[in-house]
Amino acid sequence: MVVVDIDRTSQVPLRDGLGAEPGAGPGPTPPAIPTPRQVSPARRQDRWHPLSGPELLNRLRVTGRRRPPADPELAQRLRSALDHGLLPPDAAPLPAPGAPLVVTKDRLTRALACELHAEPSGFGDRTPTTALACGALVSALFRQLVTVGALGDPMADGLAALATDGRQRALVDWIGGLASAERRELEAEVVRQARGLECRWPTLDASWLPRTQEVLRARVAEGTVELSARVDLAIGRPAVDEASVALLEATSGSRCRQHRADLHFYALVETLRSGVPPFVVATYYTRTGELDVEPVTEELLSAAARRTVVGIRSISELERGTAVRPPGGLCVRCTPLPGWGLGHPPVGGGATGRRDGELDLGAA
Amino acid sequence: MSAIDRTMHGLLAPPRVLEDADRLAVRTLLVAGLSPLAEQLPVGAQAVVSLPALRRMGTGADPLLEEPFTWKPAYVRRSLGLAVVQACATGHFRAPAQAVAPVADAAVEEWSRTGWRTFHWEPWLAGLAPGARAVVLADALTWATALWSALDWGAMPGATQIGGLDDQWVCPATRTLRLRARSELRVPLSGSPGDAHPGGPSALVSVSSGCPGPGWSEELAYLALVAGLRSPSRPVPSRVLGLWPDAGFRGFVEIDRPVLEGTVERVVATAAGLVQARTTRPGPGGADVDAAAPPSSLAAA
Repeated sequence: MVVVDIDRTSQVPLRDGLGAEPGAGPGPTPPAIPTPRQVSPARRQDRWHPLSGPELLNRLRVTGRRRPPADPELAQRLRSALDHGLLPPDAAPLPAPGAPLVVTKDRLTRALACELHAEPSGFGDRTPTTALACGALVSALFRQLVTVGALGDPMADGLAALATDGRQRALVDWIGGLASAERRELEAEVVRQARGLECRWPTLDASWLPRTQEVLRARVAEGTVELSARVDLAIGRPAVDEASVALLEATSGSRCRQHRADLHFYALVETLRSGVPPFVVATYYTRTGELDVEPVTEELLSAAARRTVVGIRSISELERGTAVRPPGGLCVRCTPLPGWGLGHPPVGGGATGRRDGELDLGAA
Repeated sequence: MSAIDRTMHGLLAPPRVLEDADRLAVRTLLVAGLSPLAEQLPVGAQAVVSLPALRRMGTGADPLLEEPFTWKPAYVRRSLGLAVVQACATGHFRAPAQAVAPVADAAVEEWSRTGWRTFHWEPWLAGLAPGARAVVLADALTWATALWSALDWGAMPGATQIGGLDDQWVCPATRTLRLRARSELRVPLSGSPGDAHPGGPSALVSVSSGCPGPGWSEELAYLALVAGLRSPSRPVPSRVLGLWPDAGFRGFVEIDRPVLEGTVERVVATAAGLVQARTTRPGPGGADVDAAAPPSSLAAA
């Protein structure tokens, strides 16, 4: 069972305070939200506000569930499940040892996309967009805030951070080439999100060992596959008796189903690499201040392992040109219908074609 | 027993010291393998075998990797990270997150005041915009936290050396073929508590990124080999602990003659590849073959 533990009510503020938020995930249709003019002063006090400071931290730390014990056999069971799924005797061979197939969350997502949402782009190949630029800049600012505790000029800080990474050169050049109106729009959104971060994000105690952009890697299937992740923020000392690490992704976009799948993948890789699962995974939405918290359970990890096996087989087949795209059940970009989650077939099928998770700066 | 407890138990176990005869035999084997290769180097050229070169060889990667050196956060990560760990180990700070900014600021301030560059990156860091500086600190913090949280620092011998200069040894030949190795920690070992001292038996600790390859034990033994060649008056390190934080992997190699002989084979094979590459693609006069690595002095912590 996937436990849904979301720090948000249906009154979460929308980009413009009106209309339905895209990609709100499974569940009943939220009630219509009145416009500001219709909200009485008394009701206004009940409106959802993003958590901040110690409250936000407590939301992350206290999941309402017992933290998983450090069970040395759990990682072994997951590894066995992956090996069994990836190395069946009758399956097509995976790449030979020495050249492991590197599997990331994005690669999995692409491989599991249905026909409608399939992208032709290759590994690590992303065309710059305003949303991508905003995400990269805000991600750098989040890292700066966690590490040094302060932000200056958000756009200047973010660009300076990206410029240190040669892999971001194309994006930095692209931002530099934006027309002034587009650049102002981008800057306004980056500044807005940065100020929100400064107001809300708590100071982390040094003894919790906060680290940013932590790399997680785990080789499975006799070393032929390397699961690879880079998590925005990890907190917590290495586990002794029970899980003690929290993994958090910060994203500038809207809530979408893909983020949950990404987190589950991170939890799986962390469990395989350290032998103990994280006790919680979370996505922090810098645009709204929402915190989507999910306690990690064995069921979650098992489901992530199954999805990973299907994804890796799909990657392998896509590379050989023999793949048939899976139906939308594993495609995280298909709008989920009430009552079904990751790994379940869609009821009634069909996808909206909307790209949830894309930041629409025009409406911001 | 936790992973950290198991690591400390293995790291601090009573040492087994390599006999002088075995040490000499290994050195003789190495010189016999490297000398003919060194003679093949073009006049004025030199070759440097390092741990990255050892790992690159056999992967199909360009053995020379001659990209021009420019500062980037990855080149600061280790030396600043080691300084952060040092500051925490000596009790100046509780944890790396507290230490990273003050340690970096102190280094820059010291350079500004005296002109002395302990780490070499001080002027570069001083000239960075706040956003870029934050990336450097964040990278170093993540690196330092991985090392800090992998060991029980309360159980470490007091004379543990954090960082320090690279170990280097030059093969006796008419051309320069150099072995270079760097360890993150040198841990004095003893048979009885309180008996550890810097000139006695020791263990090395190495931190690597990525996943360990199939030859990881030889790669760790290489560090002990070069340390033993560099300091003939000291015992060859008794063991090497390798930490691969990305992969959560911790591996030990106990140093004995068969292990070192296996490592010599790999060193000679790597040197052969480097020399061949240098012979077919001569670099600028006397260029260091392992030019992709930052200057060895950057390792100083």
